[in-house]
Amino acid sequence: MGKLFDWADKKFGIKEPHKRFLKRPLPENVGYSYCFGGIAFVYFLLLAFSGMLLTLYYVPSEKEAYKSILMITEELTLGWLVRGLHKWSATLLIVFILLHTVRVFVSKAYRPPRELNWMAGVIGLTFALGSGFTGYLLPWDQKAYWATEVGTSMLGTLPFLGGYIKSLLRGGSDVDGSTLIRFYSMHVIYLPALISLILWAHFHMVKRRGIAKNL
Amino acid sequence: MKEKKFYPDYLAEIIFVSLIALELLVVIALLYPPPVGRQIDLTKSFQPLPEWYFLWIYQLIRYFPGNSIFVGAVIVPALALVALLLIPFVDKGENGRQKASVIFFGLFLIVAALTLLSQL
Repeated sequence: MGKLFDWADKKFGIKEPHKRFLKRPLPENVGYSYCFGGIAFVYFLLLAFSGMLLTLYYVPSEKEAYKSILMITEELTLGWLVRGLHKWSATLLIVFILLHTVRVFVSKAYRPPRELNWMAGVIGLTFALGSGFTGYLLPWDQKAYWATEVGTSMLGTLPFLGGYIKSLLRGGSDVDGSTLIRFYSMHVIYLPALISLILWAHFHMVKRRGIAKNL
Repeated sequence: MKEKKFYPDYLAEIIFVSLIALELLVVIALLYPPPVGRQIDLTKSFQPLPEWYFLWIYQLIRYFPGNSIFVGAVIVPALALVALLLIPFVDKGENGRQKASVIFFGLFLIVAALTLLSQL
């Protein structure tokens, strides 16, 4: 490779530790259904990218949120498309996580020594669903408001902890500006950070354990 | 058949499939841009539909009216999640795979059926 890469490689040590990973042979049964997880990761990256563009214009406040969505969709050049890409890659992400789950189950790849990676995947799915739930409020329109009102009320009916969880999520007793800030924060900071961490673990275990051979 | 290596064989396939995934997304996003919803109306309560991947819970709560709503909203989904998490530990011993299959495909079918029922 080029001089610049070699210089950086000397400091970082990229090539040597990855040689074993890159050159490793794959089991013969690897077919296109083994791409579902990779495709889900592509949609995760596209979500991160389109989401970062949206944060440049979206305003997470009670007064401005709806207006900023209108502005992004109707005035901003290609804003409607970036919003569409974000919305649809969320749907495709869930679809491909589910397909990936079915593939892993069918090929029995959840069996030891990969049981912890199965669990990491299930936790990752719940984080993805949590991102969908928190993202749904952000447009701050009729559907968003009432879905969150109903969703958090349902959690509130849980005995003992319910009331506490509800006010923790809402940031008070009602769905209002403080709920919007909390959901926004969870949607763009907490959940993406947790998902990145779980994905790192997920991929790390794939590298360590390899791809399962069909039994 | 020649033995496949991660690099370059599989990596080339991953990049190809990723581009197809990107194209699929762009085509859908161009064809179906999400509309902007109506402004919030606090004067009357409104029955919103959740995202499609929460429709099964939406349908589930219909079977737990009144004070028992938390069973459909929290308890059953939480149990489903725990069952899914524990799949590798169910698949032990002689009939392990059968037990795991019943749980896994059972969950999938129930969630799919509830999702369809919510649309009726």
